[in-house]
Order: sequence, then C-alpha cells, then structure tokens
Amino acid sequence: MMMRKIFILLIVPLLLSFHVKAQDDLMDLLGDQPKTTDYTYATFKTTRIINAQSVENPAEGVLMFMIQHRFGRINTGAYEFFGLDQATIRLGLEYGITKRLSIGVGRSSYEKTFDGFLKYKILRQSTGLSRMPVSLSGYFSTAITSLKWEDMGVENRTNYFSSRVSYTYQLLVARKFSNSISVQLIPSLIHKNLVPTGEDKNDIFSVGVGGRVKLTKRMSVNAEYFYTPTGQISYDFNQPLSIGLDIETGGHVFQLHFSNAQAFFDRGFITETNGKWWDGDIYFGFGISRVFTIVKPKTIAEQN
Amino acid sequence: MENMGGKLKYKLSKWVVIVLVLSGMISFTGCYYDDEDNLYPQVGGCDTSNVTYSATISVIMSSNCNSCHSGSTPQGNLKTDNYTDLKTIADNGKLWGAVNHENGFSQMPKDRPKLSDCDLSKIRIWIDGGALNN
Repeated sequence: MMMRKIFILLIVPLLLSFHVKAQDDLMDLLGDQPKTTDYTYATFKTTRIINAQSVENPAEGVLMFMIQHRFGRINTGAYEFFGLDQATIRLGLEYGITKRLSIGVGRSSYEKTFDGFLKYKILRQSTGLSRMPVSLSGYFSTAITSLKWEDMGVENRTNYFSSRVSYTYQLLVARKFSNSISVQLIPSLIHKNLVPTGEDKNDIFSVGVGGRVKLTKRMSVNAEYFYTPTGQISYDFNQPLSIGLDIETGGHVFQLHFSNAQAFFDRGFITETNGKWWDGDIYFGFGISRVFTIVKPKTIAEQN
Repeated sequence: MENMGGKLKYKLSKWVVIVLVLSGMISFTGCYYDDEDNLYPQVGGCDTSNVTYSATISVIMSSNCNSCHSGSTPQGNLKTDNYTDLKTIADNGKLWGAVNHENGFSQMPKDRPKLSDCDLSKIRIWIDGGALNN
C-alpha cells in the first residue's frame, strides 16, 4: 500500500513533465528556434518549503537571517493557551557564496542542536536554447546535539563526541509547472552515528514531497510530507506533514505553518516527529527571513 | 571575454579551497555505526534476581522519570520520586501502561525512546511482587 503511494508520488510529476514537453515540441513546429536560455526563477519564495529545504538559494553575496519558531501543541488546552506558552526555535544564517552554492548555520532549541549545511544547484530548470525540465540541487547537512549526556542506567559510561553528530544527504528535484504551481521531490538519507537500540538503523532512507500553490502575487499555500519506510526506527515516530502559508513583503518572507513535527533541522523533523495530526498534536509556527546584501552584485558595465 | 575567463578561474579556485576546508571541518568526526545496546551493554546481561524499590526501581525512576515527575508542580500531577506516589500508580496500572507504551496510556518517557527491555522487566517484577517498599 505504502509502496504504491510512493510510486504514485514519483510517477505523477514525471507524467506531468512529459505533458509539458509535448507542448514544447508543438512550439518547435511553428519554426522560430530560440536563441537564448530562460532560466526559471522563484520556484519557491524562500529557501524552505516549510521545514525542508527548497531548491532556492540566497543570491550571490546575499546573507539571509532566519528566525524559525514553533509554539507548543495546540491540543494542550486553555491552560497552556493552546500551545502558545511553549516554544521551540531555530536561529539561522545562510549565505550565497556563488550563484549556485550556499552555506548555512543554525542553532535549534530542540535538543540544543547546532547545524551547518551546504547546498549546491546542479541543474537549473530552463526553456529556450537549452532546455531542462527540472531544477536539481544537492544538499548536505550536519547536526550536532549539545544536550548534556544522561547515563541512561549505565554507570560511568564513556560518551563520545561522534555520538552527538548526524548527517543528512538530500537531492532536491523541483519543477515549476506554472507561475503558481511548483512541486519538489526530496530523496533523503540520514546517518546517525548513535542510535538507541540494535533495531534502529544508523542509515535511514526517506523521501519527501512538497509543493506550493500561489494564491496571489505575494502569497502561496505550501505543503510538505516525508515518508520514511517503517522498520528503520524502533521508537514511536510519525511521518511529518506540514501545511503553511508564505507571505512575501519586500525583503522579508513570512511563513506561517501547522506541523506535527517539532524540530526545524533535518534529522529532527524527518526521523523524530512524534505528533499525530488526528490527535491534535499540531504545532503552530512561523518563520521570518530577511536578506542583507553583503557583496553588491556587479553592474553590467563592470562585467564587461 | 578572455579577462572574464581568467577572473572566473581565480574565483573558482579560491572558493573550491574554502568549501573543501569547510566541509572538512563539518565532517571531521566521520561516520560511526553505533547503537547504545552494543556500545553500552548492561554488565553481565540483565540481572533481575534482586529487584528492590531502593536499589533498583528508585534508580530507574531517578534517571528516566524524576526530571519531570517530581517537585511541587510535577507533570501530569504524578510523582515518581517517592515510594508512596509510585506505589499508587504501580497498583492502578498507570505506571506499567505508560512505560510499556500500552494503548490508552500516555507513552513514557515522553518524546524519548522506550526504556530498555532490562529496565522494563525489572519494573514488571517489582509490580508483580506487590510493589513493596524494600
């Protein structure tokens, strides 16, 4: 059943892209070979769909400051003001080193985790002279948990720094189908140096799917889901589903969302989500990002 | 155009070095395939011969439960850091339901892996023995 779901998730965007290709061929019949390549831009409004990375990078020389915040579970009731009394946050910086490469660092309150990542645009969706149906980025991140160790019933246990570290490798495959609709697939591999039991896998495979539908020029509805096949994780865990609203205002992007995940970094939300949507274990949250131009882009005159 | 090519080359090599150094720093700890059961085996396997409240159960509670379930405002209004309160939830089934993740009980320890099989069997033995204050 689950395999079939994955299959459909993978196949439908493919079919859609063939459909678009057929239209392109029709255009060829009209003559007029294009002489330039038009690269698709703004597949997503910002570098995240909701929790997951999107194919977008900060522009070259641009530093982005990001505050991601989630309240507590809305089913905690009036006493906890429906979750608003509690908070999980991540502060992050991202920088566009080149047009294709960006680097980022962040610190989450969830398990007091530091994270760092590199994201590289391998392919850019384009039309015209050189045509490419999808954008493809490679993404690598490291998360280091800095929680104090608990001995978990073993006396004087030796704890290793390596046990705090986990890695995430992702391919981000996105296609902007039209001005309003973009879809992204995210095959992922998460490596944890230390897992709780022998039944837990150190390497965890997962596939994410996300997308957005634009409502107006400045607003879009986003959704994102990760499916991690069972049998890799022994503790209680649920697949993370998030639904959000992006609002763009000048140099800011606001992202409002509902999610059953609590963490903002990859290992946390992909493999450690424990909330259940149908039980009301839903976290309300938001993200704010602001961009600062550090290195001014060259003008056309300077480039020549 | 030739000029631009030269510039690009210089720029690329500079960034290649920076990126290599950074990714090296990020990944210097390398990959390990450890799990806590194997890395920290319970010495001599699971010894369930002398389970008592003072020597066994209170130790499990203090390392796994008391951080939330103690003090003046304990989570769920349940305290696990003293015998009287623990005896109450041991007898009414709440303790076992929670730690063994049974249906209808809040799963404990919250948001953390289930207790080890060894700890669970010690708790079971203690409850079955009448949850004595020994």
